Amino acid sequence: MWLLKGVNVLNWFRNIKSNWNTWTLLSILFIALILLPSLSIILQFAAETNENWIHIKEYMLNTYIVNSVILVLFVGLFTAIIGSSLAWIISAYDFPLRGFFQWGLILPLAIPPYIGAYTYHGILNYTGVIQTTLRNQWDITVDQQYFNIMNMPGTIFIFVIFLFPYVFTITKAFLARQSTALIENARILGTSSWRIYFRTVLPIARASIVAGVSLVILEVLNDYGVVKYYGIQTFTTAIFQTWFGLGDLDSAIKLSGTLMLLILGLLILERLLRGRKRFSFTTTKVRLLQPVKLQGRRKWLAFAYCMFIFGIAFIIPFIQLISWAILTYDQSFSVEFLQVIGNTIGVAFVAAAIITIMAVVISNVSRLNRGLFAKVFPRVTILGYSIPGAVIAVGIVSLFIGLDKRIYEWGFTSSYILSTSIVMLIFAYIVRYLAVAYNSVESGFERIGTQFTDASRILGNNVTKSFFKVDVKLIRGAIFGGFILAFIDILKELPLTLILRPFNFETLATNAFNYATNEMIHEAALPSILIVCISAISIYAFHHVLERE
Amino acid sequence: MYKKVMLFSFLLLSMITLAACGGESADGGDESEKEKEINLYTSRHYDIDDELYKQFQDETGIKVNVIEGSADELIERMKREGEQTADLFYTADAGRLHRAKEQDLLQSVESDVLSENIPEKLTDEDNEWFGLTKRARVIVYHKDRVDPSELSTYEDLTDSKWEDRILIRSSENIYNQSLVASFIELDSREDAKKWAEGIVNNMAREPQGGDRDQAKGVAAGEGDIAVMNTYYLGGMLNSEDQEEVKVAEQLGVFFPNQDTTGTHVNVSGIGVTKHAKNKENAVRLVEFLSSKEVQEQFASANYEYPVNPEVEPADTLKEWGDFKEQDINLSKLGENNAEAVKIFNEVNWK
Repeated sequence: MWLLKGVNVLNWFRNIKSNWNTWTLLSILFIALILLPSLSIILQFAAETNENWIHIKEYMLNTYIVNSVILVLFVGLFTAIIGSSLAWIISAYDFPLRGFFQWGLILPLAIPPYIGAYTYHGILNYTGVIQTTLRNQWDITVDQQYFNIMNMPGTIFIFVIFLFPYVFTITKAFLARQSTALIENARILGTSSWRIYFRTVLPIARASIVAGVSLVILEVLNDYGVVKYYGIQTFTTAIFQTWFGLGDLDSAIKLSGTLMLLILGLLILERLLRGRKRFSFTTTKVRLLQPVKLQGRRKWLAFAYCMFIFGIAFIIPFIQLISWAILTYDQSFSVEFLQVIGNTIGVAFVAAAIITIMAVVISNVSRLNRGLFAKVFPRVTILGYSIPGAVIAVGIVSLFIGLDKRIYEWGFTSSYILSTSIVMLIFAYIVRYLAVAYNSVESGFERIGTQFTDASRILGNNVTKSFFKVDVKLIRGAIFGGFILAFIDILKELPLTLILRPFNFETLATNAFNYATNEMIHEAALPSILIVCISAISIYAFHHVLERE
Repeated sequence: MYKKVMLFSFLLLSMITLAACGGESADGGDESEKEKEINLYTSRHYDIDDELYKQFQDETGIKVNVIEGSADELIERMKREGEQTADLFYTADAGRLHRAKEQDLLQSVESDVLSENIPEKLTDEDNEWFGLTKRARVIVYHKDRVDPSELSTYEDLTDSKWEDRILIRSSENIYNQSLVASFIELDSREDAKKWAEGIVNNMAREPQGGDRDQAKGVAAGEGDIAVMNTYYLGGMLNSEDQEEVKVAEQLGVFFPNQDTTGTHVNVSGIGVTKHAKNKENAVRLVEFLSSKEVQEQFASANYEYPVNPEVEPADTLKEWGDFKEQDINLSKLGENNAEAVKIFNEVNWK
């Protein structure tokens, strides 16, 4: 062991010299790019307060913060429980349809939460399928309050069922590959399943669960669609009320800044608390965890649990969407729609690919360098993910207009080029979703530790060569996972796409949203279904690639 | 593996370049045909709008490039873009149009066609924006549970007889903001605040959902009356979903304040931007949209009232009858918007 440590120290000295290579430079460049639009927000944070600020503090902040905290706590807790338990059951046991659930349970991620919110309200409300069936078939009129989903518990429900796959995917990837030795030992020692889950799985998978839950929390804090429609006032509501209602962008940015710092603080704290507790494996063999075949009642219990979650988080809303789409198919489908599909896939693919490459570079540099700075520095990738999309958009438009002005003044172009092209939108996606891919790639790197890289470098390979020859092969799954998560997120993305897209550029998400905001939820069904299908196909492809490995 | 990655990176780079070029050519490439295009920012998302732009192109050869977005975000974008921005801004609610005007994003337009087609009241005081479609914010009531003779004015809704019976959506919604803004204008800030307070006291449930949800709430018995925009009810009456039709048929429309200040109306409207590069063509589009033929299509497609006085509203709306409108210039709604928002917060209207 001390030998390894000695090697690490040796490496560290070498790192200083050889690490100031392209990797480090690229990493710093990428992070600087991400920071640029956030910077304007941070600067604004220091600005003077005005009279609106006093109004905001007096009338808005208290309840809004309380609501946000409740939302984050419960959604975080439930997604952690559901996500990790499903991951555990599927990695460790064999039961009917397990193969399908492996990727099927990621599918809820394909349904944007705001679409899910509209759909569930559509199912449950007075003209929804449940109440109308009761009314028309059996003449039963129910008390509305039992069918009302537009409240705090309903909002938590929506977020939990559509976001838990973040925790599920990341934890499952970890358990399947990394936990084999520990879990098999526990099994040999005769520990019961529940005990293994609580005493072994939860502690060793903590990093993965936290990574997943932090993505969930960020999504929740950022969401505007669901809380707006359900009438839950959160911190984000305050930001938008201030911006649009009071027409005070400065105060709105100040609020976002507060939110951003809060999240950043939490994440760094988590990082420091976790400290050196790591469970990277030390043998050269990656052994997959062998699932134990369940018998009798337990087999069906596991199946029922997975099926139940899959049912409410995917099947039910999907069927409802299909029945709506059939109702309005003639109106919503046209040839231009194919163009919209092309746009959506194209832009999501390009942006997700760039994001993945950047995430790999940054996390590789971070892990090969010791020291607090190298560990904390990459946390800023999360910045873009922690600010509401609409606010980032403001930062990005300013940045691009500024750039365009320069280019224009120097006479390179006859009009503004960057801010009227798709480049601006792709850049915005990068700022926003780098964290998604980064979290996945980082947890992949964390699993393998640095032993293999160290070994490769002792054998004379440089960072780049080690990376392509050793690291990539070990974390291919995590890289793919990062790509897919970013891809799906971009498919669903709304505020940035709405504000930053070039002329005549529509995506499926903007198309669905346009109808939904006009309370034309039936017409919104077709584009929503396509988002779901494209995501589903990519999730399946991702799973297939992993299986083949 | 290394080769694969290189190949992949290469592919990626070429895609980005392609994407970038694609964006350019769509915009700056066809310099010579610049007169034939106008750029429009809109927050409206109705299929009829796209059809009308196409008709306009067929008639004039001018192509309408569109970015749809939410109004406030588009305003922010225009502000940041400065001189390089769209030619037209089109959105629902006078409050928002006024916001664009206030930020110095629009310009005054003199057009005989427009002043003939659009009543002065529905036009900005300085001709910086023009209303194109009109909607009323009315009271709907359950036909069995409420006798319309019980209804009279918006102010009457604060009476204790309506306690726990009123459904209305959240204050974050601009239609509610403009409604209160109109009260500030017609009465005073105190009166408006008193009204908002009274409504909060009489709400049957915490505000939630959109206007259609308020109508469903009345049908479901959660409340007896609701405040909503006319075109939503029109949409429900003509919906593909038979259940929505059934809901709407249980409801009656009441135009409040007929003997006093009139019913609150609002518009969706359009303005030529200050830095419009294609002003002439932009004005042509506005004139086209206000013309009799187009107004007829507008009105029938979305159950909004046409602004052009020569055009009759759709049959659904005609059945509800004529009504007296609030007599204020709609610019005032925008001027009073921020105060309205503050009132909502003060009385804790969610």
